Amino acid sequence: MREVAIIGVGSTVFGKLPERLPYELGAEAAWAAVRDAGITPKDVQFAYCSNLYGGMVIGQAVLGEIGIAGIELTNIENACAGGATALRKAWWDIASGLYNMGIVIGVESMTTSPIAGKLIPPAKGDITGELGMNMVARFALLQRRYMDIFNVSLEHIAKVSVKNHHNGCLNPYSQYKKEFTIEEIISSRPICEPITLLQCCPATDGAAAVVLASRDLAKRYTNKPVIIAASVLKSGDYAFRWEDITFSDMTYQCANDAYEMAGLGPEDVDVCELHDAFAVNELQHYVELGFCERGEEVRLIEDGVTELGGKLPVNTSGGLLAKGHPVSATGVAQIVELVWQLRGQAGKRQVDHAKVCLAHVIGGEVAGLESGAVAVHILKR
Amino acid sequence: MKTRVPFKEGLIEEVSGKWVLKGCRCKQCGQIMHPCREVCLNCLGRDMEKVHLSEQGKLYSFTIVHMPSEHFNPPYAIGWIEIPEGIRIFSQIRGWQEHPLEIGMDMELTIEKLWDEGEQEVTGYTFRPSVRR
Repeated sequence: MREVAIIGVGSTVFGKLPERLPYELGAEAAWAAVRDAGITPKDVQFAYCSNLYGGMVIGQAVLGEIGIAGIELTNIENACAGGATALRKAWWDIASGLYNMGIVIGVESMTTSPIAGKLIPPAKGDITGELGMNMVARFALLQRRYMDIFNVSLEHIAKVSVKNHHNGCLNPYSQYKKEFTIEEIISSRPICEPITLLQCCPATDGAAAVVLASRDLAKRYTNKPVIIAASVLKSGDYAFRWEDITFSDMTYQCANDAYEMAGLGPEDVDVCELHDAFAVNELQHYVELGFCERGEEVRLIEDGVTELGGKLPVNTSGGLLAKGHPVSATGVAQIVELVWQLRGQAGKRQVDHAKVCLAHVIGGEVAGLESGAVAVHILKR
Repeated sequence: MKTRVPFKEGLIEEVSGKWVLKGCRCKQCGQIMHPCREVCLNCLGRDMEKVHLSEQGKLYSFTIVHMPSEHFNPPYAIGWIEIPEGIRIFSQIRGWQEHPLEIGMDMELTIEKLWDEGEQEVTGYTFRPSVRR
């Protein structure tokens, strides 16, 4: 198996962009990544494009705009893990020796989608969905139990949102650049109790892209290649084997496999982008990703360990909560942020001497399973 | 009077005038499943027996939803009920305005209208806080 490097990254600004079509967003990000890599469109041998609501063969429309056509091109859907799934597939196509250079794009336009202004609906015929389940409710059930059984307060959870909104203010690509107080977060409109509006990620339009190459080829283009040290993707197990809804077994297993593959441990991680679709998720994932023992996660946020300037900054981009969550683009956008961190290009969000970074996404609801898909990537320089 | 139709086939059934929650048990590994399957999703055994699930359980978690869904207007309550067989049933929760919900409280199965669909009354299972008599 060959080592795979990321040599170019690009992103659109995230936000509500109803005047822009999905393929335009995708093309902007893809072109930015191609330019950043210092390659020409002709160098790209294959592509994966992740999208949920943009219609058929969107990857062809995206890359057709920037002079990439007539190559192997696969469109991918895997809910919130779609972008990370595309990266995983591209990683393998190079690691296996099939190709030497490829591009990964994640793109979503929620405001031009058929579900604009609504919650992401459950699949037709999904039993729990028909009985009134939705994405927010699923995590509200987790949060209710988490707060009551483990004695975690709403203030602790709101603090995650305070932190990530602060980081978003420092990120020019972020949808929200506004500070919030704990009180503002708690007193915002209830969505599914105890989750209030400002504990939820927004609906977002945006795209992100990365160019990958074999490590050998990467040397020709950059002296700062970022290496993909681990790439792991898993689907959710049956819920009847899921003991405790406040602990994501699939995230835990996926992270363990990723650490093993990278030959690294949680103590080596300098910066992490994780799936904070709801503020409570970030605390939960600290434990599952191995950053602390169960029961210590509140301390990480209270003591500032995961803030910028702390020992392990988490969601420096603003996370899904502030930077936004264009579903299929999120997994790729996390990689863009971490590559900037590893190259020392993260501006006001820069973490000093970042060497190892971890990205985690999870998503997709299916009755009877823990969740749809989870992915963990570890990057190093 | 409206006709009652089950919300989905195979989830509940009428046994001598009384509606019960239907499940099945794998004779090989003992796994209980709701809804039933032909094949055990735990051990892939093919010998499944029909069982009637407990009508009592404990509230594992709950939420009051303030967004509309396809069939329900806000606010409505949903939750997971852990039944003695060791599985969790996802359900609409009724009676929450009269009896404030709390994790661990005793809940009981009720069969009632979920929503109207034209001339039909879509019927299914819900859970309510058990009221000690």
